[in-house]
Order: sequence, then structure tokens, then C-alpha cells
Amino acid sequence: MVRLSGMKSEVGTAVKLRTGKFFIREGLSSLKRNRTMSAAAITSVVAALLVIGIFLVIVLNIDFAATKLESQIEMMVYLNDGLSENIIDTMNTEIKSINGVKSAEFISKAVALKNLEKKWGDNSYLLEGLDGDNPLPDAFLITLSDPNKASSVAMSVSAISNIEKVVYGKEELAKLLSTTYVLRMSSVVIILILLFISIFIIANTIKLTLYARRREIGIMKYVGATDWFVRMPFIIEGIMVGIIGAIAATAILGGAYFYCSNLVKNQMIGFMSISLMPFNQIITSMMVLLITVGIIIGAAGSLISVRKFIKV
Amino acid sequence: MFRSNLPGICIAIFPKGKGCDRLIQLKNVFMEFQDGHKVLNNINLTINNGEFVFLVGSSGAGKSTIIKLLLKEIEPSSGSIIVNDKDITKYRRKEIPFHRRNIGVVFQDFKLLLEKNVYENVAFAMEVIEAPPKEIRRQVPIVLSMVGLSRKAGLYPHQLSGGEQQRVSLARAMVNSPSILIADEPTGNLDPEMSWDIMKTLSEINQRGTTILMATHASDIVNGMKKRVVAVENGAIIRDEKRGGYGGEA
Repeated sequence: MVRLSGMKSEVGTAVKLRTGKFFIREGLSSLKRNRTMSAAAITSVVAALLVIGIFLVIVLNIDFAATKLESQIEMMVYLNDGLSENIIDTMNTEIKSINGVKSAEFISKAVALKNLEKKWGDNSYLLEGLDGDNPLPDAFLITLSDPNKASSVAMSVSAISNIEKVVYGKEELAKLLSTTYVLRMSSVVIILILLFISIFIIANTIKLTLYARRREIGIMKYVGATDWFVRMPFIIEGIMVGIIGAIAATAILGGAYFYCSNLVKNQMIGFMSISLMPFNQIITSMMVLLITVGIIIGAAGSLISVRKFIKV
Repeated sequence: MFRSNLPGICIAIFPKGKGCDRLIQLKNVFMEFQDGHKVLNNINLTINNGEFVFLVGSSGAGKSTIIKLLLKEIEPSSGSIIVNDKDITKYRRKEIPFHRRNIGVVFQDFKLLLEKNVYENVAFAMEVIEAPPKEIRRQVPIVLSMVGLSRKAGLYPHQLSGGEQQRVSLARAMVNSPSILIADEPTGNLDPEMSWDIMKTLSEINQRGTTILMATHASDIVNGMKKRVVAVENGAIIRDEKRGGYGGEA
């Protein structure tokens, strides 16, 4: 009995492999045979992916900028006056152990004064009036691993004794976080909408190729092909159309981005700190995403349009 | 389990279908469209294993409906349709392909794939039911020689005469060795000489044990063959004769 079931599964694998070959062969040959329709389908995939791709580039760049901004968020922790080095050392380890703290740098009052002098530059003579009496407190400069944890980190830090004050751009941070959140969420929604629109465009194009081939589907059904067997070559064909379209769209979009990012880089030097995501960083995610989306819309488009013709 | 094996045993013991009854049975079949139009009105028909049956009647009499019911393309409004001891009206959608593998069909318009050659058209019917390639390479030449097309295996449908195209479709219908062959006006597009050619091939197929149900308008063929004739008119069987003729009005 065990032997039997083993043999059966071997036979099953062989059947699947062979069937897979049949599907790919049928898919490829029909792609070649129906050249005009395939070209039409590929063109609409390219068009759909270009729209999605342009949007994707914008979203990736916004995300890139937002992540950069978020990573720049710092927190100043001012300490009470006259703490011994020992106490400061323990505080340092205590702060570093807090969840959400990426790094903590101790800035002594002397260093802080020097920084201030540097910052004020020509006006630093004003500080001379202090007569060596440094009014600045010792401090820790904390960078955060996750800006969303800022308030919890601030709370934990405040709980440590000998802390005078915790300062960070609370409101600015909240604004930034909510803006990036809204941007990210709306981009997901817009991409989903674009995805659905493209699927229906592709489905309609594929429907035309299917209409030309309803005879073939009819014959398959008459000789006893299962629904999945009828569907598979068309789905594979849709996936091929999707992949070809995605490669074309990536090439067009990638080329355009490469050109534009060079243009921006050259023109904006010393101007504003607008920085586009670097080309080689964006091209991989763009390719992976467009090919994935291409495969999804190709397969889903075929699946939707074949449904009508399969009911024989 | 045993019941489902019964028809198989039947065919094995009685290859010519003698003594093994009831391959197809329509019992009290009614067919009514949603608009109330009655297409079939209490059809009762039994076809035994190995029979050759002509289904005659004017257009719209209900012949095509009976064929569609047997292929489970449509469902009867009521009644049961038993093929190989199983009520096919109870089949789920998933089971339909397996039911159809037991029935070969040929049509008036041949329904060949124009971009495939003769061999590929026939092999296609085996490929789509996932037959092993070895089996396909063995079986296709056998059926091609059975219909007399061995030499034309590499030609495409447009290079063939109508009669030859119909023989390709016959080969395709027979390549999976179905126990039933349904022919819907197979000679409808052919001249008389070619038609008789096809009828000769059909007779040979029948003599090898395949049950044949052929819907037709061709009175001379029906009269010449001297086979069982079932006449349908207005959705009812009006005549069922063992060695019948086409009937008066046509």
C-alpha cells in the first residue's frame, strides 16, 4: 500500500512536469501566433506599468526623504549641575539600555560652550562676558532608532534621577510622522486602485485574444479538458505578457529616471538640499516591483477574461 | 465501488455490446426554457451498448438539445439521464470533463484547429487530458490509419477536402477510445460521395464496439444504412424503429 502511494506520487509529478511543458509551449506558440493581439496586450501592460511606475518613483522618493528626515531626529537630555563622573557614566549606560535609543553621546558643559562659540562665530565675543562662568548644563545627545518611540524614550529618560529636562521637537516630530503616515497609506491605496484599473484594461485586451480563440477552448472542453487545464495556457500567456511589459516599462522608466536624477544633481548643487533617491538604489526595487505587478496583472487579467469563455 | 466498475466489466466481457444493455438512458426528460418555451416533452430513450442510432427530425425538433444534454452542456428541467449506469444530471461541474472523456463528438463544421496539422489536431485531444507522450505517439497513428489519413498527417486543415477534414475530426473524437460517439450532422457540409465515405468509417467504428448516436437530416443516408431510427418532432419521440427509414415528409 505504501509502495503504491509512493509510485502514484511519482507518476503525479511526471504528469505535472509534462503538463507544465505543454502549457509553456502552448502559451509561447499562441503568443507568437497571435502577434498583433499579443503586441496590443503588451502595450497596454507597458502603459499601465508606466503609470504605476511613475507613481512608484514618486512614492519611493517621498519615503526616501521621510526616512532620511526621521533618522535625523535627535533628543537633548539636560542634566542637573555638579554630577560626578561616576554618576554620569551610570546614566550613560542607563540611557543606552532604553528601548528605542540608537546612540547616546555625552556633551559636557565645556564642550557645549565651545560648540556655542563655534556656532556664534564672530559674535562669540559676547560669551566673554560670562567670565568663565559656564551657564550651560551637561547633556546627552540621543539619536533614536525609531522616531515613533520618541515619547516613550522621553518618558523613560525623564524617570532617571538627576535629569533636568528632556527636549525634542515633539510637535514637529508628530507632524512629520503623521504626514509620512498619510503619504504612505494613500500611496498604497492609489497603487491598489491603479492595479485594479490595469487588471481590467489587461483583461479586456486578453478578452479579444480569447474571443479569437474561443473555438480552441470549445474543443478543449469537448474532449474533456478540465477547467484548470483550459485556463493554464492563457494564464501563462498572461504572465509572459506581464513580464515582457514589465521589462519594457522598467527600461523606459529607468532610463528616464537616470536622465532626470543626473539633471537634478547637476543643477541643484549648493541650491537646495533636494536629493533624489540614487539610481542604482531605486532601479532594483523598481524592477522587482514592476515585474511582480506585471505578473499579477497578466495572470489576473487572463483569469478574469477566460472565465466567460470557459462555460461550455 | 463495484457499481462504478460495472460498465467497464460489461465492455470487457461483451466487446460488441451484445447482451449488455443500457449504455444511455433518458428517463422522463423535460426541457423548458425560462421563457416557458418547451423544447423536450417527456423524452424516454434507451440506447444499448454497441448500437448505431440515427436521430432524425426537422430543425428545432429537439435533436441538438438531446445531444447537449448528453454532453452535459445544459441541464434538463426534470428527469434523469443515465450514462454508464450513472445519472449525469447529478454530476458536479468538476466531474463533467471526465464524463466527456467517455464521449467522442464530431460536428457539422469539423471544429479543427487551423494552425495545427492533422497529427497535432488529433494529438491535442490526448494532450489536454494529460495522456503520456508515449501513449500519444502510439495511439495517434493508429486512429489516423483507421480513418485513412496516415499519409496526410503533416497537412493542415486548409490543405484537405471537407471529407478529409471530417475524418480528422473523427480521428480526434476516437483517439481517447470513448465508448460513445456522438455525430451532429457530420455530413451536413459534405457532398454525397464524401458523405458515404464518412458513413463507411462510422460503420467501421461501430463494428469495433463503439456506440454511435448520429443526428442528421440526410434522408438518403438514413434510408441506405438500415439502422435504428429515432424520430423527434416538437420535443417528443414520434417513432423508434429497429431498422428504420427517414420517414415520409422529408
